[in-house]
Parts: sequence; structure tokens; C-alpha cells
Amino acid sequence: MNWKKALCLVVLVLFVVGAVGCGGGEKPKTDEKKPIKVVFWYSVGGKVSESTKVLVDRFNASQKDIFVEAIFQGSYDDAINKLKQSIVSKAAPHVMQVYDIGSRFMIDSKAVVPVQKWVDADKIDLKTFEPNLLAYYTVDNKLYSMPFNTSTPILYYNANMFKEAGLDPAKPPKTFDEVVAAARKLTVKDAAGKVTRPGITIAIYGWFFEQLLAVQNAFYANNENGRSGMATATAFNSPEGEKILSWWQGMVKEGIAGNIGRKTADTQKAFIGGQTAMTIDSTGVLGDIVTGVGGKFEVGTAFLPRPEGAKGGVIIGGGSLWMLAGHPDAEEKAAWTFIKFMSDAKQQAYWHINTGYFPVTMKAYEDADLKKHHEKYPQFKVAVDQLHSTPITKATQGALLGVFTQSRQEIENAIEQVLNNQATPKEALTKTAAIVDAALTRYNQTAK
Amino acid sequence: MKKMITAGQYLILATASLILLFPVIYAILVSLQSASESVSYPPVFIPAQLNWQSYVKAMQTAPIFRFIFNSFVVSVIVTVGQLITASLAAYAFSFLTFPGRNAIFYVFLSTMMIPWEVTIIPNYFTIRELNWLDTYQGLAVPFLASAFGTFLLRQAFMTLPRELYDAARIDGCGHFRFFLTMVLPLSRPALGTLAVYSFLMTYNQYLWPLLVTNKDTMRTVQIGLAMLQWDQAAAWNSIMAGVILVCLPAALLLIVGQKQLVRGMTAGAVKG
Repeated sequence: MNWKKALCLVVLVLFVVGAVGCGGGEKPKTDEKKPIKVVFWYSVGGKVSESTKVLVDRFNASQKDIFVEAIFQGSYDDAINKLKQSIVSKAAPHVMQVYDIGSRFMIDSKAVVPVQKWVDADKIDLKTFEPNLLAYYTVDNKLYSMPFNTSTPILYYNANMFKEAGLDPAKPPKTFDEVVAAARKLTVKDAAGKVTRPGITIAIYGWFFEQLLAVQNAFYANNENGRSGMATATAFNSPEGEKILSWWQGMVKEGIAGNIGRKTADTQKAFIGGQTAMTIDSTGVLGDIVTGVGGKFEVGTAFLPRPEGAKGGVIIGGGSLWMLAGHPDAEEKAAWTFIKFMSDAKQQAYWHINTGYFPVTMKAYEDADLKKHHEKYPQFKVAVDQLHSTPITKATQGALLGVFTQSRQEIENAIEQVLNNQATPKEALTKTAAIVDAALTRYNQTAK
Repeated sequence: MKKMITAGQYLILATASLILLFPVIYAILVSLQSASESVSYPPVFIPAQLNWQSYVKAMQTAPIFRFIFNSFVVSVIVTVGQLITASLAAYAFSFLTFPGRNAIFYVFLSTMMIPWEVTIIPNYFTIRELNWLDTYQGLAVPFLASAFGTFLLRQAFMTLPRELYDAARIDGCGHFRFFLTMVLPLSRPALGTLAVYSFLMTYNQYLWPLLVTNKDTMRTVQIGLAMLQWDQAAAWNSIMAGVILVCLPAALLLIVGQKQLVRGMTAGAVKG
């Protein structure tokens, strides 16, 4: 029996040796002139982090004066918590990736340098940039951060199932009512009348609720979504908000919509596995869905459905690059050079192809590789069209809320209760609004 | 007849172990699947072909081996440290008599009621003041003593017969010698339990290492696993590959140390 033990020991030793070997390869830099070090915190893992690292490596290879050290800091929430400590101890990074709904917090932290400062200093022409992306991060006419990873939600559908159900895959549903009608036809029941495949499955994700409000041009928070002044209360407890929940609840009650919880990764899996005919998900996962399906069926994409006659559009989601204050000018300038490089057409084309996030600059669309990519995945065109057809209003700019993370969770609770028939849409939204308003009041008192 | 019973026992045991091991086996199988197999429905169990690519992918996304090494070093330091401090403190609480012993012990215990999250910020500032960010000591030192470990060992030491102590004292045995040659060997199962517990707790830490490290070369495994994830879509095969790699050292350690644990338990069970 001893050889087993010995084998285990050998493997253990190999692990340790391997680890030491891996760690040993530190950069032996013998530059006569020391490059300026820029610390960059990023938060998105998986395949996105690989693309982030590639771009950082490209930047470091492209010049000698600046060295960017990219550090992964866990989820967005982890990173923000870490930032809170770092601001106090004056160890904040130069550049940091923060999610969309962290914007209000970042501004209130008073520890940031608005990107606008350097846009002006450098005389950058923002006209070539995607206006919808800039609109989200522009507060008080100042561009606070540089959009980096941005996506919007779209409707995904299984074109083969459309054909089987006698629907035209070239004409996907556009309105709430059309979605209900299509879902009804797409739902498959067994002999006993039990639903075996719902027509549509949507993850209980607060972001979708925000989006469905914006397509109706409705506000999420008062003071015009917190854009014309600090938001002091929420505004989602409205007829528009109720409409979303009643629509959703109606479909689940009828059995034509599935409910498999909050994780978008789960609904995605259901869609890829052919367990549901339609779903709503981010444009950022289009590549994953298409490769996951692997040609088993044709994936169709369409604009996010809206109530009849609604005139709004989608809000961008994702993250942006923030510059933190408190560094010497030379370092701040180096950080800006890095941000500028990241938002360049060439990098953005690479970024779009490999992650599915929108390019920040329109110039990226002229890139040859990107054009080829769009030919291969025509579904992306829908995503870009949806973005470009969105009117920029205070509703589609998205809300600024100091307690957005909590609010999103509370909305998810509300959706859950409504879908489980524990509350009517009105009751659920009233309760949620009260909770979030109280939290917001507390936040606003401390943020002054 | 006897054979039949043995066969039956084996059958039951095999089924039970299969049920217990299912998550691990499934994780290994998923890690060897292709991306589309890992998300298909009905779920695929046996991959059509072994796809080692997911391991390569996992190692590219995060320097897993370096992380494993770091976690290992920190966990070993913490385990050894906790064994030393907890056993010494427990000895004092169970064999020495001094005024206020029980009161001090209860104060000790009451620190278990303080959630770790409350102390995380002061601890962070201390570590920063000491300039210990990005170091092994920064990762390990705050965990070198634990009230739980002391409590666990004290309860174990209390079960040792008082006569043993008296006899040793009469024969002229000092406290330290008694501690080393009698108490520790007799409490092997408790020490083993504490060792396994503190090792795994440290190995699985996430928030603290994330706070006090800023370099890939100093980070630990749980951060590595987070690096493999992306909230919008999950590449289950490479995440599972990462999980398997991370589990291996801990599992191997358990196999190596298992004899020790079992022997300790039986030694304590039979009087002799």
C-alpha cells in the first residue's frame, strides 16, 4: 500500500516544483530609463479577461515609456469594496474598470478624475465615438469615464422552432403581444397537457427590467433618472413598470414562459439545449450562444420586445474605465495614454470580435477583420442596429443611483414574487420602491 | 452465504461511494468535454473525445499552479501556527489551575461570536502599516491563532484522565514534557481534525487574499477560480478544469494524511 502514498507525494512535489518554476519567470527588466508604471484594475474574468490581457500586452509592447500592470480584482462588487479601502489608504490604482451602475458611487467618491479633463487637453474629437455609449457616462456635460465593455439585451430565438411552429423566422415578434402570441405557438405540451418546452424563458435579472422600462421611455428614478439632479427617489413604481411585470407574469401563469431562476447562464443553457424557443440575453454572449449551439439550429436575433407604440430604446450595460485621482501628473497622463490606446479603432475591433462587446469608436466598423466577423455572424448586425436606432433621452441614458446594486436585487425579489403569484405587480413594486427609497435617502445623506 | 453477504456489503458500499463521489466525477467529466457538450441538453456525461484543451485554457486564463503553490504555503503556515497556539492555550485551560481561568476561557470563547467581516478592515490597516501587503506573512499571520481551535483542543484534553497528569507529576515530569510526550500523542485525532479544518479554511479563503494582494504572483486559488468566470456566460469546461486542478493538492494531502487520522482515532477508541 505504500507505493500509493509515495505516488501521491511525488505528484505533490511535482505540483510545488511546477509552481516554483512558473513563478520564477519574472520580468528581468534592465531598462536604463524606468518606464512609468500604471496600475490597472480589471474585473471581468473568463474569456473577456484574456482579451483584456492581450490588449494590455499590446500596449506595453507598443512603446517603452509606460508599463501597465493589469491586476484582476474579483467581481465588480469586490473591486469596488477594495477601492473603498484603497482610497482611504491612498493606494488607489490609476485606471479601474467599474460597472455601469457603479457610476454614481464613483462620482460621489470624489476620488476620480473625469476623463473629460484629458479629452479637452488632448483635443480629442468625440464625434467618431459611439454617441449612445458616451451618453451613459456623461454626467453634467462631462464625460466621466471611457466606455470599455458595453452590451445591450436582445431577443434570441430558435429559427428552426419558428419554422416548425409555422412562424416566419424572418419576422420575429416585436411587441409584448406578439411575443405572447409567438410563445403560445412555440410552447410544446405532452399528451397530459403538461408543458415540456416553454415558448420563452427569461432570467430574473434586474437589468432586463431596467431595459424594458427604457424601451417605454420611462424613468427608473426621479429627477429624470438622476440625470438633471441627484435622484432622491425611485420612479419604477409606475404603469410602465407594472406593464412589464404583468406581461411576464401572464406568460408564466399561462405556462408559455419558463422560469428557471436568476442566473442568465442557466437560461442561456436552456436556450442552447433547445429547451426553450426564445430568450432575452446580452449581446455580449452572442458568440457563446452561437458556438454553444454549434449549428444544431439557426440562432435568430431581434430587437428587445416592447409594448405597442413604445418609443424608447435600450440602455447600454457593462463597464467603463475610470481614472483615479491622487497620482502625479506624469502618471495621470500615462494612464490617459493607456485609455486612449484601449479605445482606438484597432484595439476596439479586436475587442468586439473576441468578446462581443460594442466597439467604442465608430471607426472600428471599418476594420477588415470586423467586417469579416459580421459576415460570419450576421446576428451581430441586429445588436448594432438596435443600438443605433435608440434615441438618446434621459430614459435611455440610464439611471444614476447610489444604491443601484441593492435596487437591482430588490427588483429581482419583486419579479420573483410576482412570478410565483405571491404579489400583484403593483404590490411588489410599491414594496420594492419603499425599500429602495429608504436606502437611497440614507445614501444621499452620507454622500454629501 | 458469507460470500453473499460480503458481496452485498460491497455492492451497497460501492453505490454509496458512487453517490458521494458523483459531483467530483461529474466535474472531471465536464472538464474533459468540449464547450458545446458542456451546455447541451440532455446533459452529456461521457465526452465524445477527451478535450484537454480546457485545462490549457484554464492555465492560460489564470496562473493556476502559482496560485496553488501560494495557497499551499499559506495554508501550511496557518495550520502549523494554529496547532501550536491552540494546543498550548488549550493545555493551559485544561491542566493548569490559575485564578480566573474559566473567566478568561469564556472571554476567549466570546471572540468566536465576532464575525470575521467586522475585523477585516482593522486587520487590513494593520497589515498595511506593517508593509505586509503582497507577502506571505500578510496572508497568514492574522489567522495564526483561533478561539475555535483552542476550544476544540481543550475539550479533547479534558477527556484525558486526571490520574495520568497526577502520575506524571509524581514521577517528576514537568509541564512541557507532559504536554509533548503525553497530551499531544494522545490527542492525535483532535489535532488532526483541527489541522484538516484550518488547512481547508485557509485554502478556500477569498476576500482576505483579494484585499491584501495586488500581484498575480502572490494570489491564491480562489481568486484564480474567480478569474475563470464571467458573469454573463460560463465556460463550464474550463471552470471545472480549474476546480479539479485546485482540488488536487488538498485531496492528495488528505490521502497522505488519512492513515494518521484513522490511526489516531482508533488509538483513542480502545483503552490500552
